[in-house]
Amino acid sequence: MKNDYLWDGSGEPDPELRRIEKSLVRFRHRGEMPDFPAIDFLPSKPSRFAFFTSGWTPRFAAATLLLLALTVSGLLLRLAPVELSNAPAWDVARLSGAPRVGNFSLASDSSKAQLRVGQLMVTDNSSRASLTVAAVGEIYVDPDSRVRLVESGSNHSRLALELGTIHAAIWAPPGEFVVDTPSASAVDLGCAYTLHVNEDGSGTLRTTLGWVGFHKDGHDSFIPAGAMCVTRPVQGPGTPYFEDASEELRSALHAFDFESLSASDRQQALRIVLAQARRRDAFTLWHLLFRVNDEERPLLYDRLASLVPPPAGVTREGTLALNSPMMDAWWNAFDLGDISVWRFWEQKQAPPLLKKAAR
Amino acid sequence: MAITAGARFEPLEWPSVNAAASKDTGDEPLVKAAQGGDRAAFGQLYQRYVRMVHGILLARVPSAAAEDLVHDVFLQALPKLAALRDVSRFGPWLAAIARNRATDFHRRTKPDCSLDDQAGVAEAPENPEREVAIEDSIALLNAVRELPEVYREPLILRFVEGMTGPEIAARTGLTHGSVRVNLYRGMQLLREKWQRHAPQAEKEKGL
Repeated sequence: MKNDYLWDGSGEPDPELRRIEKSLVRFRHRGEMPDFPAIDFLPSKPSRFAFFTSGWTPRFAAATLLLLALTVSGLLLRLAPVELSNAPAWDVARLSGAPRVGNFSLASDSSKAQLRVGQLMVTDNSSRASLTVAAVGEIYVDPDSRVRLVESGSNHSRLALELGTIHAAIWAPPGEFVVDTPSASAVDLGCAYTLHVNEDGSGTLRTTLGWVGFHKDGHDSFIPAGAMCVTRPVQGPGTPYFEDASEELRSALHAFDFESLSASDRQQALRIVLAQARRRDAFTLWHLLFRVNDEERPLLYDRLASLVPPPAGVTREGTLALNSPMMDAWWNAFDLGDISVWRFWEQKQAPPLLKKAAR
Repeated sequence: MAITAGARFEPLEWPSVNAAASKDTGDEPLVKAAQGGDRAAFGQLYQRYVRMVHGILLARVPSAAAEDLVHDVFLQALPKLAALRDVSRFGPWLAAIARNRATDFHRRTKPDCSLDDQAGVAEAPENPEREVAIEDSIALLNAVRELPEVYREPLILRFVEGMTGPEIAARTGLTHGSVRVNLYRGMQLLREKWQRHAPQAEKEKGL
């Protein structure tokens, strides 16, 4: 007879499991179904003729003329016209100030617009806006930011953050939402995060929920909740670390990732990272395994193994050779996210990535 | 560094989204009807998903708040429903809204807001045995909440809401494999934690 009570309730539970179940059932939801409001207000596509049938008023006429004038002047002034596609647009809502979408400025509280593929949204130092697609998530755009919608489809969306800060809360399946920056692309793996880009193209990514993949040209970092990662235009994403890691570790890591160090300074930086790493920082050391040379890697292995023992099947030799299945298995032992989600995303990407890995 | 090594892997099944399961839920006609303004259909979706939403919230916020936030999650989902393009993903979509609502709850409440639950203590009758049982329940719930997030949610959906593993997978859109692994690993961790807690608690009670 099948006996898998924990999974499907079949068979008999052991006494401890029964006790746990009996104790916890008291917290079960028992509330009544609320009286939901009528759903008439669900947003539907507005009729394209509604404006004409609603009656002309002087205000509408003036607004239309103004809009027409702005559009014509915008078209005349534009040097490189943007091609707008028919892909689904993102809803833009003004939160403060006067954010601009294409050539339109959202200046009143009721202002709403849509960001279409190819269009740029710009906030000045006093404006904020939100971007929403129901099936994907919500993006809050801070002041002094420039965001372009690059792709929008049923199972993939891509923004480009050229400058400034966005806060993303994504509920689309992992891998379907990507934000490009000048120095790396952030791939949502089921999460909420904040992404910032400086004028020189460098940036930072901070994850608040779930985890994010940050990659450029096969140079990848995985950033779990509570961690952050710095990226630079030439080097790409640096080694990620938890924000509560010691200042010494963070400084040494920064030097190791982005500064031109002499051999002795490099050794010193690595020594500090290893000495300062806590069990929680094992994921940082895991990333470093890929970034150190063959002489340095055994030191990393030993320290990482002392913090989080390698799972069954992961050997010292395999790790030092960066055997992919072994590296993946060790990552999964950290319980920070299933790396097969990332591997699946990689496989869906453009062939050049695979070609590069195969070389 | 080149972590990228896709070429060395066999093609993978999508690991976290169980497309077959989400199609088997039979939600699509209801979601489409609700998108068209059918309140009864939305009510049926509520009945189907309320335990999932409550469980997801309870894994992250105090139990009294979880009850209140259930209503919020459905009210938040309602106006957005029309724009949900892939109706077979209603469950995962709603689950994400619930997780985000819990995150938002913590963002808006004071930072030291503890997840430790005291619910039920005030309503305990003057029956010492029952009072101990309630205290045990609260301690157990708090022990579950101290587990890593990936284990918390399936354990609460299984033990509090009474959903089976296949039902959790179908509703949340996760694969059977990942729900099963998380249930078993989570249960193992909970047993270890609880076995350490029980003798200590008895000592404190002078038993």
